Amino acid sequence: MAGSRSITVLNLGKISYRAAWQVQRSLLQAHRNDAKNKKSFLSEQHPGDVLIICEHEPVYTVGIREREYSQDEERLKALGADFVRTDRGGLITFHGPGQLVGYPVINLKNYSLGLRKYVSSLEKVLIKTCEMFGLQGKTTKDTGVWIDERKIAAIGISCKRYITQHGVSLNCNNDLSWFDHVIPCGIKGKGVTSLSQELGRKVSLQETEPLFLNSFCDVFGCTLAADEKLAENILLKADFIS
Amino acid sequence: MNKLLSEMRFTEEHEWVRQEGSTPHVTVGITDYAQDSLGDIVFVELPEVGSQVVEKDSIGAIESVKAVSDVYCPASGTVTEVNTELESTPEVVNTSPLEDGWLFKMELADVSSLDTLLTEKEYKDYLHGLE
Repeated sequence: MAGSRSITVLNLGKISYRAAWQVQRSLLQAHRNDAKNKKSFLSEQHPGDVLIICEHEPVYTVGIREREYSQDEERLKALGADFVRTDRGGLITFHGPGQLVGYPVINLKNYSLGLRKYVSSLEKVLIKTCEMFGLQGKTTKDTGVWIDERKIAAIGISCKRYITQHGVSLNCNNDLSWFDHVIPCGIKGKGVTSLSQELGRKVSLQETEPLFLNSFCDVFGCTLAADEKLAENILLKADFIS
Repeated sequence: MNKLLSEMRFTEEHEWVRQEGSTPHVTVGITDYAQDSLGDIVFVELPEVGSQVVEKDSIGAIESVKAVSDVYCPASGTVTEVNTELESTPEVVNTSPLEDGWLFKMELADVSSLDTLLTEKEYKDYLHGLE
């Protein structure tokens, strides 16, 4: 059935973490309304499965096991980053300029995927993207994607009645020193890296995005279509919430 | 046919509900299919004892590797007990989803609400439809 599924790509550009999360929740609600045959408030036409790509201002986020970080919030905020408690899986991570973030808000039923397989599909997308740069990415028991012992991409998702939220982040040319202040994803004794650091040249988001999207199509067996109008519509609303 | 299974009711969110006799007291957990599709479970968040819950509400969460999945309330009522063992050993949901890995117990507001849930056969048919 490859190719028969279509995902709308929503490029939100640079947007705050909180606003992007609000957009995901709106899209989730649209999925639910769709299931109940209600009209989506986002647009006349329900967008269906959506892949958001964006870039955040500096932010540390934690998953539902956030109690482990009750001491860290003020210290991390003092560095000039936002700090957000989320409902995703995984432990602490960082997002910031120069990092590609992807949030698929999709109905897993459309892909006959359980959560575990969905997470491993996202890992495959990231490994494929690294391959296109000539880098050998791999997975370990610690999930995320690694170049040797250095973590290049992180995964953290949530799923509500088959609809996914949150997603992946891939370090392109972001300032990695932000990771020095935390133990990324709770994994001790390992480093982080970026495409730029591995390749010894500046690898921009603009260069990475199409390769990431191609990899996503391959792994999920779907086609992607951009929807500028939906992006505009959503960004107008996001202005109020950011 | 597994006698244990045939006494249970199920939801489309892959939860099982087991009634104690004909009382309004039930135990709730997730199915083997659910634990398998989630993968290794590392954290379970459960509702508070005494909380009033409404059918289909999200009342907890299960975290497997890097992914959080909501736990839904199969019927309306009051939570009477939660499986506190899962705080330190969440992996029991993987190894014994139908027994030691139960999530919570509740007193139903209306026993007849069980009739609206799926029977074992209906749940199995539903699983076939997902494949």
